[in-house]
Amino acid sequence: MPEANVIDPIALEISWNGLRSIADECFLTIMRSAFSTNIKERHDHSTAIADARGRLIVQAENALPIHLASMAGLMTRILAQYGETIAPDDIFIGNDPHVAGGTHLPDINLAIPVFGDGRLVGFVANIVHHADVGGAAIGSMSGGLDEIYKEGLRIPIVRLFSRGVLQDDMMRLLLLNMRLPEERKGDLNAQIAAARLGERRLRELMAASGPGYVEEVFDQIVERTNRRMRDAISRLPDGEYAFADVMDDDGAGTEDIRINLVIRKSGERIVFDFEGTDAQVPGNFNLTFNATQSAVCFSLKALLDPEVPNNQGIFDAVELVAPLGSFVNCVSPAAVALRANTCQRVVDVVIGALARALPARAIGAANGANTSAVFAGIDPRTRRQYVYLETLGGGMGARATKDGKDGVQVNITNTSNLPVEAIELEYPLRVEEYALVEDSGGAGTFRGGLGIRRTIRPVGHECEFNGVGERFRHRPWGIFGGDAGKAGRFVIRDRSGGERRLAPKASGIRLRPDMAAVMETPGAGGYGPPRDRDEALLAADLESGKFTPEFVAASYPNPAREAPGGRPGGDRSLPEPCEECSR
Amino acid sequence: MAGWIVGVDVGGTFTDFSARNLETGAVRIHKRPSTPDDPSRAILHGLGELQAKAGIAGADIVRFAHGTTVATNALLQRRGATIRMITTRGFRDLVEIGRQVRPMIYDLQVDAPPPLVARSNRLEVTERIGPRGEIITPLTAAEIDRVVAELARGPKAESIAICLLFSFLNPVHEQRLADAIRAAMPELSISVSSEVQPEFREYERFSTTLINAFLQPEVGRYMKRLKNAVAGVAPAARFGIFQSSGGLMSADKASEFPVRTALSGPAAGAVGAAAAGAAARIRNIITLDIGGTSTDVCLIRGGQTEVAHIRDIAGFRIRLPMVDIHTVGAGGGSIAFIGPDGLLKVGPESAGAVPGPACFGRGGDRPTVSDANVVLGRLPDQLAGGELSMDPGRALEAIRTVAEPLGISAVKAALGICGIASSNMMRAIRAVSTEKGYDPRHFALMAFGGAGGLHATDVARSLGIRRVVVPPAPGILCAAGLLDADLQENYVVTCRTPLDGDLSAIDRAVAELDQQARAWIAAEAAGAERAHRVLTLDMRHVGQNYELSVTLERITGAPPPPLEAGALKEAFFAEHLRSYGHVDRDAPVEIVNIRMKAVARLRQATATVAAPVGPGTPVEHHDVWFDEDQPRSTPIYARSTLEIGFALRGPAIITQFDATTLVPPSATMTVDPVLNLILELDDA
Repeated sequence: MPEANVIDPIALEISWNGLRSIADECFLTIMRSAFSTNIKERHDHSTAIADARGRLIVQAENALPIHLASMAGLMTRILAQYGETIAPDDIFIGNDPHVAGGTHLPDINLAIPVFGDGRLVGFVANIVHHADVGGAAIGSMSGGLDEIYKEGLRIPIVRLFSRGVLQDDMMRLLLLNMRLPEERKGDLNAQIAAARLGERRLRELMAASGPGYVEEVFDQIVERTNRRMRDAISRLPDGEYAFADVMDDDGAGTEDIRINLVIRKSGERIVFDFEGTDAQVPGNFNLTFNATQSAVCFSLKALLDPEVPNNQGIFDAVELVAPLGSFVNCVSPAAVALRANTCQRVVDVVIGALARALPARAIGAANGANTSAVFAGIDPRTRRQYVYLETLGGGMGARATKDGKDGVQVNITNTSNLPVEAIELEYPLRVEEYALVEDSGGAGTFRGGLGIRRTIRPVGHECEFNGVGERFRHRPWGIFGGDAGKAGRFVIRDRSGGERRLAPKASGIRLRPDMAAVMETPGAGGYGPPRDRDEALLAADLESGKFTPEFVAASYPNPAREAPGGRPGGDRSLPEPCEECSR
Repeated sequence: MAGWIVGVDVGGTFTDFSARNLETGAVRIHKRPSTPDDPSRAILHGLGELQAKAGIAGADIVRFAHGTTVATNALLQRRGATIRMITTRGFRDLVEIGRQVRPMIYDLQVDAPPPLVARSNRLEVTERIGPRGEIITPLTAAEIDRVVAELARGPKAESIAICLLFSFLNPVHEQRLADAIRAAMPELSISVSSEVQPEFREYERFSTTLINAFLQPEVGRYMKRLKNAVAGVAPAARFGIFQSSGGLMSADKASEFPVRTALSGPAAGAVGAAAAGAAARIRNIITLDIGGTSTDVCLIRGGQTEVAHIRDIAGFRIRLPMVDIHTVGAGGGSIAFIGPDGLLKVGPESAGAVPGPACFGRGGDRPTVSDANVVLGRLPDQLAGGELSMDPGRALEAIRTVAEPLGISAVKAALGICGIASSNMMRAIRAVSTEKGYDPRHFALMAFGGAGGLHATDVARSLGIRRVVVPPAPGILCAAGLLDADLQENYVVTCRTPLDGDLSAIDRAVAELDQQARAWIAAEAAGAERAHRVLTLDMRHVGQNYELSVTLERITGAPPPPLEAGALKEAFFAEHLRSYGHVDRDAPVEIVNIRMKAVARLRQATATVAAPVGPGTPVEHHDVWFDEDQPRSTPIYARSTLEIGFALRGPAIITQFDATTLVPPSATMTVDPVLNLILELDDA
């Protein structure tokens, strides 16, 4: 078949569809064949196709935004490191944020090269969040770890398969350094199967149309996506947009970590400049450049064109300035395990900065966290160790035309919860409550979403609780006059109902069977002045019981209701976007 | 002529009738516009028309099988009962949080729909069952009294959903609440989660139960009305309602469990396709049902439709056995446009029935797939037996609105629209085949719906499928499927047990389900020709949270013998290997759910369609475009003139009352002994 060099818009659409199908099929393969609950139920994985230069071409429909730049980072480093020696049926693996393009150690990246007519045409890659990759604490995600060596096994880019042959010594080395090696092996097998399947599908596509055609399709996809993104950018008013926000702490002694952003936009050029952001911190909340890039691209896509496909064309439309050694472009040996919390905050900062330019699309600050909880111990029935990890959603920010959604994953994460019945069947734990946190959505013309409360007690044994929360002190701000939402908190409740508040990064907490851990995630910020809220919506807030009469009376000024004094719902310590610009 | 069975399928636009005589196999079909405000009107009028047309006396109708979209539409339009829900204390927000995910990751403005029951209508009750079915906090009589009093006092509701944690292991608390509410308020509908679907995972079980409660009053009234009306016309008819799982149930069951009819319509098409395939001895089929706004596909293996256990309809999650239908927003009315990346896109937006494609001349001016087919000369001048006349001028005008900005000819744009629509349909087929471990090349593609035959060869070629089958009445296959449907009832119990050593708990549970299945066969399936049960086990590796269903031998006589762990493991490994491509024989396996399906075969007759008598000569010739170079003069045949054994080589177009089939130049077509069109594609 002749190798066309110009592809018409119809053939390209059909071929693009075909590539999406391949990425989606790989995604499902991992979901269906992996061993761990984290993948099966929570779908904490992504798949992609890249070209011979390592540019990301197609991502699966349900791939996670946080994984976006990580896969691209892997491929460029494979090329730099292995170059000409890359051979068919090699499989590369890596996880290290500092040398292998990763964003934190549990995300193990895997890629297989695809050859056509004897030359490298591209890669099929995937990424899976493994439930443990060794290190100081079970789950490799604990707060308080202050260098990457403590977080788990660092895998530079290595060959796991060389020309189709398993490098058994490598596999044994990896598995020995991880807890639950059987589960790791199961998940790695799922990754390997998905990579090989994608490689086969891409070769089938090339057999029908020739590698030259496929390469041309790759180029066109990137070029057209880049064009589309630049067009969307050029419609933004030119100017400088600044914003800053502050993270609670890093769990290792550093508090009030500032993320500073100035966006300079001119024509179709947009620069995200993080100059003025605090230096990297000892605790494990630092972002590698890839992680910052993922968060920025997510925000821009969500604000400008949610349907723009995920590929290199987006990265190429955005310029990023992040000082080396800063909180948003850290260097070794910075610890990074909990970077998702920081990514969430970068998204809030980008939205805050662009709110003035995009008032109809910007939203109030979301729960701004990736609140996570780990319960670990020895199951008294089986005498075996268990580890139960959960990430909890919270409030979503209010929008220009409607309230923020209650109790949901926001921004860069969208992982499912584990059913209560699954938790109790699997682990010696009792879930006592799973509910929305009343009064946690910031007041506004449209109110912020509510946070989630989950209460869990160990049954018949003592277990350990580790929690990681953000926006437990700095509340999620509202925009255009909307109030801040409520902060989150971790609390230990004893038999008599007494409560002890824990630090936002709580580690090594012993829980006896007569104690319960109460996790409350933050709500979200409101949109527009509370006084403009429709009375019918307010009535519904009360009718549903999501808000108490006391909160409504205090937060919504109404001549009939207004009481003198401040409004406790409005947190003035965090300025609104426009005030922030002048800082 | 005594002994007629009648199938009625209610669609959005048409209500289709198919009648078959049990003695002679004679077939009569009929079609009339639907009456969406009360579907039973079109059913009764149409039934009268069918009787008059075919000379069927009401007393001669022995069976009336009905596929209904009442439940589906109620969900899509969110039009149903006001519900109050009773749930375990501490968990009233669980149905609102769901799985805490949002439907579109990147779209900040799109939310999942709010739950079907308002928060203020969710009552919490003090009680708790644990993960072994043990009672942790007893449900006291005082607490029951409090709940009943609260229901009597609070906002008026028509329907109650009772959803407690771990009720699938121990339903006693749910039952006591249901009994007390029934006694106090007999006028209320009650849906109990351990009765609707007694399965593990609370959100899915509760959501299914809420949907049932939402539908119960309306569907119950509809069933009663229709059953009485049909009984007035056809007093001897056994009344069967088609469920999403692919079998019939009684109207009483349908009133009790309306959620089981949520996918009634498309599932009937899949059963019809399986029956049409069986008549031609084709047992491995992928269906392609192309309608106006969407395309439904389903995989049939060994004559059996594949079953799925979870599905979202209108954003609401249902966990029940359902024929595994995959739907994609690509149909005749799908609109073509130029996307923000400058590429041509098709759907999912549809011109619908109003205004419809531009070629219908009803005011539509945006280009659709049907317009592309008109421009390419592939659609005849008239559709639906003359009810719709095509306007080629308007079609061309509409297609030009996308062709000109792209700088291509209208013909090239039209070919592109068809190609993109096909590639969208192909993605749906991959979802039911390759993504589940099946190679589509080992299947025949069965095309039906009005436009199935127009796109089938395109879709088949892109998947490597060589054979396309077009059944005799492709526009009415859903109604025909109703005639071939068995009576069916499904039972499930969650019984988590490791697959090593003692399986006596499993054997006891199987015996219990088998007992229920046989009791159902004895009671509900009286008069059936024969009956059997099918045992299926959901299994997984220990630690996995995703089960694979392994179907065991069908059971006809005595209760099944005790299960044997080794054989079950082998069956699980084989299924794991087929589905996922790898297997770990050392990892321990456990059973999670036991499913028992009871099937009663009703009396059937092989359809004997009056064989057409030639002459099989073209009615006319049309210029049809297959590539953009030049059109080919293509013969048009009326299907009613094609005899058994008739063969031709493409290009050709076969028209019939409500469907069109395109035979491209690179294919041959024959009429098989049961009047299917069999298209064989040349090697690419």
